Amino acid sequence: MRRFSLTVALVLVSIAALFAAGGSETTSDPMSGTITFAIWDNNLNAFIEENDMVGKFQEVYPNAEIEVEKIKDDSEYWNSMRIRTSGGQLPDVMFNKPFTLARFQDYLLDLSGLEAASDNILAEGYAVDGKILGIPMTAGYEYVFYWKDLFEEAGVEVPTTWPEFVEVCKQLQDYYGAQDPDFIALGIGLKDEWPDYPFMEFMPSLINGEGDTWNVMATQDRPFEEGTDIRTAYERVYELFTSGVLGKDPLGLGNDQINNLFAAKKVAIFPSGDWSLQNIINAGADVSELGTFYLPVRMSTDEPYRVIVQGDSLMGVTTHSDNPELAKAFVEWFYSDAWYPDYLAYVSSSSSMASFPKEKDPILAESDAGCPDMELVTYGGAGDDFTAIQNETSFDYKKLGAQMLTEGFDLDATFEDLNTRWTEARAKLGIE
Amino acid sequence: MGTNARQRQVFILSALLIPTALLIAFVVVPGLDLFRLSATNWDGLAPDYDYIGLDNYKKMFQDGNLWLSLRNNMVYFFLHLLMIPVELAFAVVLNSKMRGAKFYKTMVFLPYIINGVAVSYAFSYFFSPVNGAMDALLAALGLEELQQSWLSNPSIVNFTLAFVSLWRFSGYHVILFLAALQSMPQDIMEAAQIDGASSWQLFRHIQVPSIMLMVDFVLFDNIRGALQVFDIPFILTNGGPGYASSTFTLYTINTAFKFSNFGLAATMAVAIMFMIVLIYLVQNVLIHKVLLKEGRR
Repeated sequence: MRRFSLTVALVLVSIAALFAAGGSETTSDPMSGTITFAIWDNNLNAFIEENDMVGKFQEVYPNAEIEVEKIKDDSEYWNSMRIRTSGGQLPDVMFNKPFTLARFQDYLLDLSGLEAASDNILAEGYAVDGKILGIPMTAGYEYVFYWKDLFEEAGVEVPTTWPEFVEVCKQLQDYYGAQDPDFIALGIGLKDEWPDYPFMEFMPSLINGEGDTWNVMATQDRPFEEGTDIRTAYERVYELFTSGVLGKDPLGLGNDQINNLFAAKKVAIFPSGDWSLQNIINAGADVSELGTFYLPVRMSTDEPYRVIVQGDSLMGVTTHSDNPELAKAFVEWFYSDAWYPDYLAYVSSSSSMASFPKEKDPILAESDAGCPDMELVTYGGAGDDFTAIQNETSFDYKKLGAQMLTEGFDLDATFEDLNTRWTEARAKLGIE
Repeated sequence: MGTNARQRQVFILSALLIPTALLIAFVVVPGLDLFRLSATNWDGLAPDYDYIGLDNYKKMFQDGNLWLSLRNNMVYFFLHLLMIPVELAFAVVLNSKMRGAKFYKTMVFLPYIINGVAVSYAFSYFFSPVNGAMDALLAALGLEELQQSWLSNPSIVNFTLAFVSLWRFSGYHVILFLAALQSMPQDIMEAAQIDGASSWQLFRHIQVPSIMLMVDFVLFDNIRGALQVFDIPFILTNGGPGYASSTFTLYTINTAFKFSNFGLAATMAVAIMFMIVLIYLVQNVLIHKVLLKEGRR
């Protein structure tokens, strides 16, 4: 019995000691303690490790510690963040994409007071009820990569309107497809579905010049009705995708395969984000003949040449943070002269900070040179209502792009079905 | 009671209580919670949710794409089922004193230990319509007319994926059968051989009944594996084109994480649990009562 009492006493003392040790970490200095920083981007992770981000931050905040959590990829990142949200275990600092901001808005602190927020050229556009919940790390542009020598040999020019773009694709397919049945004029890795996003996600906004197309759709009962921007966009996409310009088996190839085929000049045109430039180079391509232009969606040169830009990787501080002041200080430091310019030089994306402009890679800059009268459209992502309707109707626009190429697909019937489900979902969710 | 007896009691109690407590905490409670979640509209994020009764169950039964996905699971199930006798035959052959048996055992088991994601990724290049090894192989054999859109033709995509699954998992079954065969007491076999039993009679009347427990396990594993298949279609086709190669688990995961409907996804998880049990019971009756004509076991 005495031994038992001794054991209990020892356990109690140990627990008390543990609490005391934990308590000793809490000091009056708000800039001390540990914060967690969750990322998915391989490039950012490599840069953080190579450049001793934690050490550099500690030069300014010696009592602070940063734990960098690298998650496999962005899909896994959202899954992990969702699970951690329900457990009240979000990291101190997390990233969002424009389309996930609405999902996590209740768990993010307002960063409006930060200098990084006021200096950021895109942050204001993603504010929710006037609160800046995420500060975009880079500005992402969408390009159409193409091989100049293939264009020249086939006798086609860089298109500046949608009909010209469709025609150029057809001519390239006819010209090279006659010699090589495996040739692909327009390479989109539709096996993965998501690579059609320059068309399925951005094209409605490029047509109407509004970055918040999804949110407008959420206010309509039948957004896929004849004449709506989304229907117009998808009708054009359908016509292009089914014209044979995607090669002999467009649903059989994923983005990595298309990227490699493009690098080997078996694909003439490859629409993708600025981040693809690095992948094309990594695939061993000689880029001396590589060019870019912006996807033209206008029907004639009388219409404005619209170009989409979106804030990428919106850095935010979560409500689950035990050290919100330190987390905010980290965000401020990340976007300061001490760290951000070096990171920006490391990646191919453009700057989102007014104080640190970045000159584009000459290959990407060709798009700007060929489009001096462009009108920028800031892509706004989706709000609460759209996300709720999308979840209720299972509306998956990226999958829809790939489905357009399946046997028996009926575009009009799909629009009608979507309209019906949209109306029902709005009624069920009580969205006015 | 002596100290030793008390210690023994403490040991037995802890050895029983700790696993039971772990089982309850990590299997029973989450399992029961799944039923509770299936009656809610939880989105996986919000701290609160509503109880909506059987709405999720109604919605699940009305979802055509989900049942199309289940039909795709059946392709995996039947192809693997057809392969089980072949796997058993392989195990019997490898169990005999053949030359290089160890090498063949290693080769047969190798696909199972390779990372599933890597296998799927490699096969996506193997079946690629451009520079794909499968089409090149057919061309080299002069069989160009057999070249297909292996991953994008809805009529054959599930067979392509099931083939990859067979390539990966058949070796695992062979090794399980082999382990069971090797654990059989040899004196029964020798006695039967002395009595003049043929190889087929040895196989049918001695080896198969002796390893029936393992056969049952492999049959159950086949049902569980076929209904829960995820990584191969996820990486090779992402369930496409459309939903042509989607599977029940893939659809469930998309429901939870892509469309934020954890309540409905929990309902699907409950359904798959019941389906595994149901199919196993039916299969058990068919095999033991109808095929093998066994009496009460």
